Amino acid sequence: MNFPHFIWVYRYLWIGPHVLLLAVATVMFRKGLHKHFPIFFSYLLFEFVMCCILWPMAYFRAPAEIYWKFDLFDRAGDIALRFGILQELFESSAAGRTPWYRDLSRMRSRVTLLFVILSTVFFTALYASSLDHPFFRTYAVIEALNVAQCGLVVLLFLWHRFLGLRMSPFAFGIAVGMGLAMGLEPLEIVLRYSVPERMAMVVDMMNMAAYHAAVVAWLYFAQAREKVTSDSTAALPLLIEHAADLGRIAHL
Amino acid sequence: MTPLIILGLVAGVFLLFLILQVWWRYSRRNELEALAPVDLEAFENLTDPEEEAYLRLNLSPAEFRSVQRLRIRVAKMYVAAMSKNASTMAFVGQSARAHSDPEIAATGQNLVQQAIRLKVWCVLSATRLNAALAFPTVLSPSSAIASRYLAVKYMAASLPGKLAA
Repeated sequence: MNFPHFIWVYRYLWIGPHVLLLAVATVMFRKGLHKHFPIFFSYLLFEFVMCCILWPMAYFRAPAEIYWKFDLFDRAGDIALRFGILQELFESSAAGRTPWYRDLSRMRSRVTLLFVILSTVFFTALYASSLDHPFFRTYAVIEALNVAQCGLVVLLFLWHRFLGLRMSPFAFGIAVGMGLAMGLEPLEIVLRYSVPERMAMVVDMMNMAAYHAAVVAWLYFAQAREKVTSDSTAALPLLIEHAADLGRIAHL
Repeated sequence: MTPLIILGLVAGVFLLFLILQVWWRYSRRNELEALAPVDLEAFENLTDPEEEAYLRLNLSPAEFRSVQRLRIRVAKMYVAAMSKNASTMAFVGQSARAHSDPEIAATGQNLVQQAIRLKVWCVLSATRLNAALAFPTVLSPSSAIASRYLAVKYMAASLPGKLAA
């Protein structure tokens, strides 16, 4: 394959989504969503700043060792912030913290720990022979955490489904986008080590395209209007009707 | 090659799950389901420890197991109805939360929180009932569940006034 043909696509996929992140942050700020999702807002800014550091380093061919250190810092920062974002998403549906909700948070922390342990065991078993390489070992840890977060995204959707709650459009968009961004990362690492060197750019592009789709989803859902809000006046008679039903149940 | 296949499958299943979530969100009609009737008094009778003790005293062990299992099955149906109602209440609360009137919005928020709590209680109760169904002579579904539902009853009773006000 003649990859110079793809170089502009490659460059766009690297820079484009990170510029769009600023657009997402701007929309969030204008709509006041940064107050509801402060960690996600920080994540957007962190990603943008890291791109501003990593892209020139790659373009001007900085020493590989320094570049990988920054790349690892970027990935580690992503992981840490994503755990915070997931917590924001779980709490966004309950709108407010009550004492009993702390019990649920504690339960969720235990489930998170369980996911992390399971995915670490999974990755250790999968890469038992390759863990001698120090860089690969670090990436294996990061990807194990990544898979654990994918598990938490699944749990987030199932939790809302179980409760019968509808996520706000933006919370839904964040969750779908994060799933898109995270879902392919573990596969990317394995592919990178499995394919010939000249194919590495295709693997990178696959991951970048997924991230681009995630950012577009964030931008779309940040602008989407909460349908429930516009219907809320119409919902009032239904509320009273249901309240009467509740009263009937309670007085039995 | 094996890690590649396994991770490829995991990623594929995960992406399929995400697609299903998007499809489910946009295919579902945004309608409120009617509340299922729940007779709490009957439920309390079914899980009443005194009633259980009376049956245990007057029936043979085999008959008691059979009757108790039947009672637990019916109690489970009530719990399932309560659980479904909790979801409906959460949905109603979400609508109210977005209302322009701050009082209704605050009530909606409270309703969402109470409904989530009720839903969790329903899961715990269903688990306990399932265990009691497996061992009807050893485990009793009575006291803990009944008291939980009494609390739920008071919680539900406090909501209509706030909403209708």
